[in-house]
Amino acid sequence: MKTYGTEPGAPTPVQVGISELTVSDGDDTLKSYGLGSCVAIALYDPETEIGGLAHTMLPDGDAAENSDRKPGKYADTAIRALLRRMVERGASYTSVEAKLAGGSDMFDFDSFGDGVGQRNIAAAKAELEKLGVPLVAADLGGDRGRTVEFTPGTGTLMVKSSNEDGTQEVTEL
Amino acid sequence: MKLDVNALGTFYRMAREGAGLAAGRLTHMTDVETRAGVTKLNFMRGREIRRDFEDSTAKVGVRVELTGAIDGYSVIVFERENALRIVETLLEESATDADATNDDGELEEFDEMTKSAATEVGNIMNNGFIDGWADVLETVIDVSTPEFIEGHSAETFFDDVEEAPAGDDLALLFQSQIETIETQVGFSHYLFPERESMASLLEQLRASDGIEYDKLDGFDRMAERGAEEVAKTATTLTGIDTSVEIRRLNFVSLETIPEQVPDERLVGVAFEFDGLPSGYLLFLFDEESANEIIDAMVPMEVDEDGFGQMGQSAIKELGNIMASGFLDGWANVLDTTIDHSTPEFIHDIGAAAVDPVVIQLGEEQEFAFVFDTVIVADGQEFDCEIYAIPDESDLERALNDLDVDRIEQAPTTAEFQNVTDS
Repeated sequence: MKTYGTEPGAPTPVQVGISELTVSDGDDTLKSYGLGSCVAIALYDPETEIGGLAHTMLPDGDAAENSDRKPGKYADTAIRALLRRMVERGASYTSVEAKLAGGSDMFDFDSFGDGVGQRNIAAAKAELEKLGVPLVAADLGGDRGRTVEFTPGTGTLMVKSSNEDGTQEVTEL
Repeated sequence: MKLDVNALGTFYRMAREGAGLAAGRLTHMTDVETRAGVTKLNFMRGREIRRDFEDSTAKVGVRVELTGAIDGYSVIVFERENALRIVETLLEESATDADATNDDGELEEFDEMTKSAATEVGNIMNNGFIDGWADVLETVIDVSTPEFIEGHSAETFFDDVEEAPAGDDLALLFQSQIETIETQVGFSHYLFPERESMASLLEQLRASDGIEYDKLDGFDRMAERGAEEVAKTATTLTGIDTSVEIRRLNFVSLETIPEQVPDERLVGVAFEFDGLPSGYLLFLFDEESANEIIDAMVPMEVDEDGFGQMGQSAIKELGNIMASGFLDGWANVLDTTIDHSTPEFIHDIGAAAVDPVVIQLGEEQEFAFVFDTVIVADGQEFDCEIYAIPDESDLERALNDLDVDRIEQAPTTAEFQNVTDS
């Protein structure tokens, strides 16, 4: 969902919906709810405190027709678009680091093959490696949903997931 | 008149684009942060549209007539209270005298000035939508002067609109929501295109042979039969008296589906199904409803934390039988066979339960027809949301094979027939 008229520094987290990506800086928080097999990709430059979050749903944008229109939908094109937008804002490519969360496989359906989450994880890792962006932390796989909150200024990625007994687990990456 | 996914996809983009422009203009006008919420294309019968209005809240609308690339009517409908709130914000900005406000400074009635302010807002929103469509279609759409409408029922809003569908007619409806970030002011947008203008647009936008519009009746009948079967089996199995509350066929972009699901922990059962069509079927319950169901199905006192093995297997059993009922309902209408997998239990944030399915389908398609159904019980917690998402090409094939004359013969029950048909 697009947000219109967001004021910089607003205290409410900016919601990054499925297939979207947002670049920001400082203390802004970027949030994605309810990731199942989707993968959240957080990139940031610790020096300039510029960073971005993408809520990707599919692995391969290069093979898709609409990846120009929706770069945030695919792991590979999302990483490239995040990097480009961050550099445009003043981030330095060589100091950018990455954190990943998501890619669970909650259902064991025949049609899912090796698992839709696993395919997304593999694609995100491969693209990071190709572009030479170090993956510094990750919370991936499993069979639980996750909600993530990313602060570009500190590079902190908070990952919340719920256990079967209803308790919440918070991991700080 | 024929339609295909490409044409519907363009329509969807129009609605989305229009909602974005309208949200931007509302922000500009009121200085209130807004965002475009879920956009849907609905296929609805006239009587269901009217039923939507019969929730006894007073509404106000602003209606314009369109000519050019689309002929028809575009209507913005606010709940009356929300409209007053927006107008209040506007009038605060222009620091007007507060004749129409009560002691708390809140507006209670529309007078001439507030009416014209509301009309202005509605008109700017209407124009946002229409400019969005014109952009996507790369053409010009002319708009009449706006008309302010206030009332409780659908008649006031639609009855003099020739394009509004009669009770039994299936209309393609554009529905968008715009939310303000803090104050939760939503509104609905309806477009009633004239049939002929719609047919020629579809003709232009179609990229494949497509489906005869009349076959959409088959869609609607599938949705109806599926929902009824589920309510019936749920009642039989749990002893809880259930009925179909909402039954809707939406055409949406895949990523919209997880956004629609409540942002809370839900209990669900998921299936993949195979045949003509193949696809995925999800039943989602809120936690309270799931607990009631377990209580109803498991006779002894269960000493389990959360949803233990006993509870899970009760929910899975119910899901399994509901899935069979639902898909049998479809198979009957389509005259095919549809098999389904064993149930998968899930207890997690709603969106997380839906996104794996959306991802799997997303490899091949950008949009999906979603059969949304909500089953409720009288005086008891039993809220079940059902999402049935068929594979697009399978569904197109199934519908094309469908003999429209046969649809009429497929028996239906009276669930939806006693709804007031005005």
